[in-house]
Amino acid sequence: MSTAAAELVAVSDAPTRGVGWRARLIGPGLVLPAVIATIGFSLIPLGYLVIISLTHKSDYFFGHHDYSLKNYDLVFHRYRLNVVTTLRLGLLSSIITLIFGYPFAYILIRKVRYRELVRTLMVFPLFGPLYLAFGLYYVLLPKGPLAGVLEFLHIKGTDLLYSEPMTLFGMALFTFPFMVMNVGAALSNVDPMLEEAAQTLGAKGWQVFIRVLFPLSKSGILAGFLMCFGWNIGVFVVPILLGSLPQQRVLSLVLQQKAMSSQLDYGLASAMGIVLMAIAFLVTWLSLKFSRGALGA
Amino acid sequence: MSSIAARSQPRIRFNRRLVGDILAHTYIWIWLGLFALPFVATSIHSLELPDGGYGFAAYTDAFGSFKSNLITSFEVTGLTIAINLVIAIPAAYAFVRHTIPGKGFLLSILNLSLYTPAAVMGLSLLITYAFLFHIPKSTTGLVAAYVVGSYPLMLVPMIVALRDLPLVYEEAARTLGANRLQCLLRIELPLLGPGISAGILLTFVIIFNEFLVTLFIAGPSNTTAALRVYNLTRTGFLPSTAALAAIMQLVSFLVVLFFFKFFGSRYLKGTYLI
Repeated sequence: MSTAAAELVAVSDAPTRGVGWRARLIGPGLVLPAVIATIGFSLIPLGYLVIISLTHKSDYFFGHHDYSLKNYDLVFHRYRLNVVTTLRLGLLSSIITLIFGYPFAYILIRKVRYRELVRTLMVFPLFGPLYLAFGLYYVLLPKGPLAGVLEFLHIKGTDLLYSEPMTLFGMALFTFPFMVMNVGAALSNVDPMLEEAAQTLGAKGWQVFIRVLFPLSKSGILAGFLMCFGWNIGVFVVPILLGSLPQQRVLSLVLQQKAMSSQLDYGLASAMGIVLMAIAFLVTWLSLKFSRGALGA
Repeated sequence: MSSIAARSQPRIRFNRRLVGDILAHTYIWIWLGLFALPFVATSIHSLELPDGGYGFAAYTDAFGSFKSNLITSFEVTGLTIAINLVIAIPAAYAFVRHTIPGKGFLLSILNLSLYTPAAVMGLSLLITYAFLFHIPKSTTGLVAAYVVGSYPLMLVPMIVALRDLPLVYEEAARTLGANRLQCLLRIELPLLGPGISAGILLTFVIIFNEFLVTLFIAGPSNTTAALRVYNLTRTGFLPSTAALAAIMQLVSFLVVLFFFKFFGSRYLKGTYLI
């Protein structure tokens, strides 16, 4: 996280106006509103979440202040399957995004002249997984708009509905643009001459990929993969609409049920939230570490 | 006749490069179709009438019963954009033109909420609003959550734009007698236009369609249109729900088109979102 941020502000250290303490206070003064907003509505709530995660159910709000790690014990034992499901769906959908996104980014960078059109259509997934899942659900219904095509391909739409492949596809479609942007940024820095040189020297197509393209775009692949993974472990609505019970075990969904259903088990929900957040921060930190140089370029 | 056929034969011969190109472009177009498919399907569904025909009845319904949700959405999104501007412009200016101790680290902390999973952010705010700040289900809380979650999206394009802006213009204006305020209003802000617009675009697209944090902290009086879509999908797949979803996507898409037409996509680069 810090490397990428440092890069973004690296150039700007040079010009400093005036000397003396008043000039030095202008900078911090101008950032102050942002800092206050972040402390008040991000850091304090997250800190509070940590405290609540150490207490039993909603006892904390009734004056019982005894702390224990019992909720974390529950998350890693009784709810281990939920953690595993979250990681599994995130991992699988990111792999799918990578497998389909890499060729897309390659063709986009090397062969496509209508890039503005591609970029414009690619904003649809960014409006959010809710609309994607809703649209895909309708596509799969027997009377859906693609019923003829699905029949031609001998696919039964209702078989796909409420299944793991469809959930993964919905998640992959949402993160597809992130992968394409990351891999594309890395690939656009690879000189096509290198591929041509490899081919002239007798390398076959797959050899060019493994020995030239892959090593040169490795940072983009890793950054894209981690970014998709970071989004996908927070998945919420796609399993509701396109998945069934095995997919609906994801942490986001369970913590929402624990906190907002009649159980009101804030302690357990908070512990799940903290675990999810820890995974997300770790992943983001890694992804920003590997996307070094691409940010703001 | 036979000589023409003989001459044209080599041209029809299997050409690997051509076939490769056709396959490559087909691949791109298949995915472009898939990107638009959910929106197209939603639109088709929204035009269906109960008797099997097609018409705009669902839209009349949607504008009738979801009008208050749409108004709430536009209100909170507009308010969020305004507050984001007030927070992000000075901050970006400070990051690029002034010394701040621990700059890189500070920027990471400010970006923290971007990387928090929405459900976790929602839960933490739900608890904090209810038991610490005592503002449960309020519009104030909703807007505050949106601001914290989205002003970094505005900050980054602005830092990119401001960093690319040479100091020369500002110095020339100062030399010619402009004071600092004039300099800011007449030189820098106009030149920063595209960067600021990029921030507005990102905030709009994200906040207008946000439903998950909203699910945790909104009440019946400030249910946004995106949350309404989510709530309605839990009860059934009516054409009026599809109409609301289609309206939301169409508005977002038109805003994006408008932006691309005037500014291109250069300033969105640092954010990795588009």
